[in-house]
Amino acid sequence: MSERIGFFICHCGINIAYRVRVEEVAKYASTFPGVVVSKDYLFMCSDPGQELIEKEIKDNNLTRVVVAACSPRMHEKTFRAACERAGLNPYHAFHQVCVREHGSWVTENEDEATAKAITIAKAGLSRVAYQDKLFPKKFSVNPNTLVVGGGIAGMEASLNIAASGNTAYLVEMQPTVGGHMLQYDKTFPTLDCAACIGTPKMVAVGQNPNVELMTYSQVEEVDGFVGNFKVTVNQKARYVKSNCTGCGDCAKACPVGNTNDWDNHTKSRKAIYIAFPQAVPVRYVIDKKDRGPCVQKCPAGINIQGFVALIKMGEHEKALKLIMEKMPLPGSLGRICPAPCETECRRQDVDSPLAICSLKRFAADQADWGAIPVPEIDKKDESEKVAIIGAGPAGLTTAYFLALDGYHPTIFEKAPKAGGMLRYGIPDYRLPQDVLDREIDYIKRLGVAIELEAGIGRERTIESLMAEGFKAIYIAAGAHKSRKMNIKNEDAEGVMHGIDYLGLLNRGQKVHTGNKVVVVGGGDVAIDAAREAIRQGAQEVTMVYRRSRTEMPAVEAEIKAAEEEGIKIEILQNPIEVLTDGGKVVGVKCIKMKLGEPDESGRRRPVPIEGSEYEIECDMIIPAIGQQVASEFVSGTDGIELTRWGTVDADPVTFHTGRPGVFAGGDVYTGPSIAVEAIGAGQEAAVSISKYLKGEELFENRQKRPSGKDWQKIPEKTAKAERAKMPELAVNERIANYKEIELGFSEDQAMAEASRCVDCGGCCECKLCIDQCKAEAIDHDDTDKKTQIEVGSIIVATGFDPMDPTPMVQYGYGKYANVFTNLEFERLSNATGPTSGKLLKRDLDDRMQFTSPPKSVAILHCIGSRDKNHHEYCSRTCCMYALKYAHLLKDKCGHDTEIYNFYIDMRCFGKGYEEFYKKVQEEGVRMIRGKAGSITEKENGILTVKAEDTLSGRIVEVDVEMAILCTAMEARPNAEEVMRKFGIGIGQDGFFQEEHPKLAPVSTPSSGVFLAGACQGPKDIPDTVAQAKGAAAECLALSSAGEVEVPPMISSIDKDICVGCQLCIGLCPYGAIEFNDFAGVSEVNSAVCKGCGSCSGGCPSGAPKVRHFTDKQIFAEIDGILLN
Amino acid sequence: MSEFEPKIVSFFCNWCTFTAADLAGTSRLSYPSNIKIIRVMCSGMVDPKYVLKAFLNGADGVLIGGCWPGDCHYINGNLKARRRVALLTEMLSQYGIGPERLWLRWIAASEGTMLKEVAEEMTEKLKELGPSPLNKTKNAVVA
Repeated sequence: MSERIGFFICHCGINIAYRVRVEEVAKYASTFPGVVVSKDYLFMCSDPGQELIEKEIKDNNLTRVVVAACSPRMHEKTFRAACERAGLNPYHAFHQVCVREHGSWVTENEDEATAKAITIAKAGLSRVAYQDKLFPKKFSVNPNTLVVGGGIAGMEASLNIAASGNTAYLVEMQPTVGGHMLQYDKTFPTLDCAACIGTPKMVAVGQNPNVELMTYSQVEEVDGFVGNFKVTVNQKARYVKSNCTGCGDCAKACPVGNTNDWDNHTKSRKAIYIAFPQAVPVRYVIDKKDRGPCVQKCPAGINIQGFVALIKMGEHEKALKLIMEKMPLPGSLGRICPAPCETECRRQDVDSPLAICSLKRFAADQADWGAIPVPEIDKKDESEKVAIIGAGPAGLTTAYFLALDGYHPTIFEKAPKAGGMLRYGIPDYRLPQDVLDREIDYIKRLGVAIELEAGIGRERTIESLMAEGFKAIYIAAGAHKSRKMNIKNEDAEGVMHGIDYLGLLNRGQKVHTGNKVVVVGGGDVAIDAAREAIRQGAQEVTMVYRRSRTEMPAVEAEIKAAEEEGIKIEILQNPIEVLTDGGKVVGVKCIKMKLGEPDESGRRRPVPIEGSEYEIECDMIIPAIGQQVASEFVSGTDGIELTRWGTVDADPVTFHTGRPGVFAGGDVYTGPSIAVEAIGAGQEAAVSISKYLKGEELFENRQKRPSGKDWQKIPEKTAKAERAKMPELAVNERIANYKEIELGFSEDQAMAEASRCVDCGGCCECKLCIDQCKAEAIDHDDTDKKTQIEVGSIIVATGFDPMDPTPMVQYGYGKYANVFTNLEFERLSNATGPTSGKLLKRDLDDRMQFTSPPKSVAILHCIGSRDKNHHEYCSRTCCMYALKYAHLLKDKCGHDTEIYNFYIDMRCFGKGYEEFYKKVQEEGVRMIRGKAGSITEKENGILTVKAEDTLSGRIVEVDVEMAILCTAMEARPNAEEVMRKFGIGIGQDGFFQEEHPKLAPVSTPSSGVFLAGACQGPKDIPDTVAQAKGAAAECLALSSAGEVEVPPMISSIDKDICVGCQLCIGLCPYGAIEFNDFAGVSEVNSAVCKGCGSCSGGCPSGAPKVRHFTDKQIFAEIDGILLN
Repeated sequence: MSEFEPKIVSFFCNWCTFTAADLAGTSRLSYPSNIKIIRVMCSGMVDPKYVLKAFLNGADGVLIGGCWPGDCHYINGNLKARRRVALLTEMLSQYGIGPERLWLRWIAASEGTMLKEVAEEMTEKLKELGPSPLNKTKNAVVA
């Protein structure tokens, strides 16, 4: 088979011929084996050039054609088409070698350039003979288009696509379309207001039936290829449905504030908001961040941010209702909870954490508990009864939730009154009995039966309860047994454990209290016992604790209160022997301790100091060193195990014990802990029991606890405010009685304290908005939605961002009140901005307040542009908008306003631009040719701008009241992410890479993906709109062609060579290779393969080959380059 | 006697490095003509056989150009190239060809200048190293 090769070398005008001696190359080629025609011509890509190829093919029966010219990326398609017209298979026949970009343009020496051209030609001539006939597959094209970005470019492109009858999916990240253009006031040079020309586009896009508008959405993944893209779009949860009318009543009621992104943070908005009044769609959106650290920490999951916000708004009843959604004992816990939430409160970064616990108490105390209405409960059948052992916080909570769910819980309590440790472990001056009673009464009103003095374990056991028909049992018996000291004589008369002491006193029984009392321990029980002893008449009460003061587990406020009452606290001491006389306590021998290495709890283990023993004289010793579970009542019940610490064993998620239908929670499960933990456990146990009774899987569909750290930023200039002080009884009024010591916040105090909340979670879910919404459009349970759309083409129109000039400290942005960025100034001038369109100076003390019009303004061009240190490029639009600002200032602030523009060069290149420049100059604006070097602020807020006036050669210092920085247009910060998603490239300036800067500005090397607008490079509105229309035209061309030819250079596996090792399958990034079990070889799916060659490069047998890049072909090129 | 001019065969990926070479051309950057470019679709397409064939044919150096990691048009072809080159340089050492003669460089489509710099660097270094051991018997020829 003899080849007949035609060789053509292009002069490209003089672009190749000026360095490469083209005739010499053609002469050489004519000597190459197989070459029958060898010609040079001025412009091969022109009509006559292509006709030359076609003619030579026909006249000389050429089988192959090699063209030496520009880069194949330019004209490979052109010349392939010519070969095809002449009747040859273009892939078989044609090869192009580059002697321009890789030859004449980069080689200065003529001899070298010519030699290189000859070598390259050799390579091409060698290769072409090995090329195979290939037939590209045609695929149908989906006529719809995805437009990414809803600014002016995206909107314009979408409308053009929609006009053809095809569908444009417009995906916009923000809740409204419009983009940066709609943030501006008037636009140059016509001074149309951006809203006037932009809002009709926005409305059109919202109403056009062929535009699917997806706002508050982002593209997650792009799969497929040109004509056949499958795109996954994530629509963020908006929490407001589409029937929102935009009335704004919700925002009026919302208690949470933030600054508005659309206004460049010059204006504030609420958590439920609309970006600006003309937003499309006119639909509010709720800004929800991750739940605040307080909510995440609270074991009961109370919506703390929510109830605090409601108290701030004066809605105390709603606050209580919100709290009671998660727990039934707000008044009690509001008095005694150690508040783990407060340790997490972010307000402490400003001054001190919020008094959350006391605010909860405030809400509870406002209500008339007897009158709180019982909610409507869908009661279940009488047989759905649950037995609960123990009426402490765990048992009461579980009963509460089960009753709300319609079940019939009965609590069996050993003691004469309900309440558990809340009743019997905490003294009345901390938690008055009537507070506990009113809450227990409410729980009973829900349908909870409480049997008192009805302990379980002797006559009635768990077994007998089950026999009585209780379908589930919850063990919430607590941990009431006091831990022994294990020292000599500890059972002597006069030693009474703290729990027992408090318990008897709380039952109203008389207990003999000694004169000199020693309390052993440092926890709340020890403190309570000590303070009770004082009230019971002890003269001297000493607490002995074996670790240091900071390690005492008791609440700090309690420790202080104890000291105020005259109790002595001896730290780092431990009793080693009770001293008795005739069986009665007369003293206790103690030893001093020092802190050694940490133990399992992480605290440093106290170590006795040898020889430091001493004695304390006393007649009563109250040990309070910890509690244990009294678990005798479970003995004899099959399936219920005890752990090695004596607690009841149960599953940590479901609280189910080993015995089906028996659950355990609270201190009886965890060991001694805090009440709010027991309440949290009670909630979960109620969920478990309800599922169990319904026959549902206990582990499934359980609500997850909130997590995450994406919280609202605390504004920098937050004024410090002191934490509200709890009013208390004077110390001298306390000791003689059991009156409640903490008196509770007044309403003013509570509302002021609640206002200190910094709203970490954004929207606090107080639901005040729902009350206001007449359209019933708010849905707080909304979730993100993922949709898949199918399109044939994609337009990336993601726009730009103005540069942040904060790092350029010489201009003082962020430091000096009256230095503005271009966007901030636009917002001032815009009628929907913070000043309703008036151009005003900023208040020196409050960035969010504006005062009077400036009498003098400096406008600084080229901030961050044309700058080696930031961006070398010119941002194209700044000179024009700088002139626009000058005009607006003259117009709105008076023609005697002094305006100075500091420029390097004036770029007024467009239609009407030069005329606009002249007009502004005639208004008396002073143009200073010299970039401003710095801005400094004087004491009264006046700014001094320093620059070199290059026309006069002098340094000028100009004092002005306001300065505007024309900052560079730069690529968005997420450009890299977008680039990878769509398979496009980024140029050195950070903007997306077009296919060719002059001839293909809106297409990319990735077929089917186009660019439009500022994301491709800085440009003004006219150019953006032109590009948008251009990109739309490209998409419509694809759509109307209906078919697309996909290059056939994909891989195929020679089944005769393949050994079935399957190495290629793992190498393929697209999963395009499958193993054929029957044949024992791997096979390429030609619809998925993109021809990257990972398989061919990696196969040890050489079985897969990418068509048009086979071994023979590449080897031929290598031979051509190196061999003679 | 003419100065030794190294013969460098380069495999440039279509999307990044080949485009960078085009950009170097349109920017009229000059670099040594020792580099001869073979276009491949992806640096991951470069079979070890190509590299060995080049050296056997008398190349003094082989340059593989690809996209920066993370930016490969075919997701991770360049990473496969990296692994392959690591193994190849081992083999080249054992064959006595010398691992310094095989270069793998990431050159993005917009980095025309970097291409020029790499071309100059490689030509310089190979001039210092001298002809490939497989080439020593042949006369040094102006490439």
